Amino acid sequence: MATAINRGVIGREFPPYVVTVERGTIKEFARAIGDLNPFYVDDRVGAASEWGDVIAPPTFATTFRDESVDYNAFLHDLGTDISRVLHGEQEFELHRPLQPGQTYLCRTRVADVYEKSGKSGPMGFVVRETSITDRTNELVATMRSVTVVRL
Amino acid sequence: MKYGRLYAEDVNIGDELPPLVKGPIQQIQLTRYAGASGDFNPIHQDDEFAKAAGMGGVFAHGMLSMGFVAQAVTDWAGAGRVHKLGVRFAGIVRLKDVVTCRGRVVAKSSKDDVHLVELELWAENQRGEKVVTGRATVGLPSRG
Repeated sequence: MATAINRGVIGREFPPYVVTVERGTIKEFARAIGDLNPFYVDDRVGAASEWGDVIAPPTFATTFRDESVDYNAFLHDLGTDISRVLHGEQEFELHRPLQPGQTYLCRTRVADVYEKSGKSGPMGFVVRETSITDRTNELVATMRSVTVVRL
Repeated sequence: MKYGRLYAEDVNIGDELPPLVKGPIQQIQLTRYAGASGDFNPIHQDDEFAKAAGMGGVFAHGMLSMGFVAQAVTDWAGAGRVHKLGVRFAGIVRLKDVVTCRGRVVAKSSKDDVHLVELELWAENQRGEKVVTGRATVGLPSRG
């Protein structure tokens, strides 16, 4: 029996959540990638830079997650589970770099859910968009993530 | 020059980024990336889980490869210059794979004081198979 992906989750908004970026988290993220750019890992270079402190690498916002959200429950609502999903696409739009000590508000919504047939059978696609704003409600970054579900 | 300052005037359409070679991928790096990113999907850690899921064994987080691609861009353009970065994960990166990130300048524009450069990006494994394809927009300072 062919399973279908639940398009009913389109438009679902997750509860907004707050993230305060820690200096050590930026550095460990950069080191895990093997990117020792001094603007990420060296406080003195950061302090002397145009940003006045170290900055986060472009993909750092991927660390932003709401630990109170049960991701497995979301996958269950979609009609799948963690063993069936792959990361299909990812996009970041950055209006300025993310920085330590800053507090950001993240709002995620399910922008689209659709099915396509790929070379290994039918696939589901789940598009989530997250907006990241600062304390003055200015948009700092957006991220768009496409999850592929093996149906 | 790595970490050097790149100016808009120094960039031409068709210019290639210096290739960035990453890997060979080791399990410890996937474990470290899981900790640093918060993505603890067992498919990147537990070989039995990944095999049972039909993936033939553990493989790297797509976001780790995207981090490599981002590094190729920032090594060239400088940290903090990326306005937009988007990728498609075109292939699985496995343990022991060597990932080479490449890119080239496809467009350039200047409006007022903003100098944007559009890049086509890709990463390939040691067999020349594309594992990531993407685009980026970077904003560069001007000498003027």
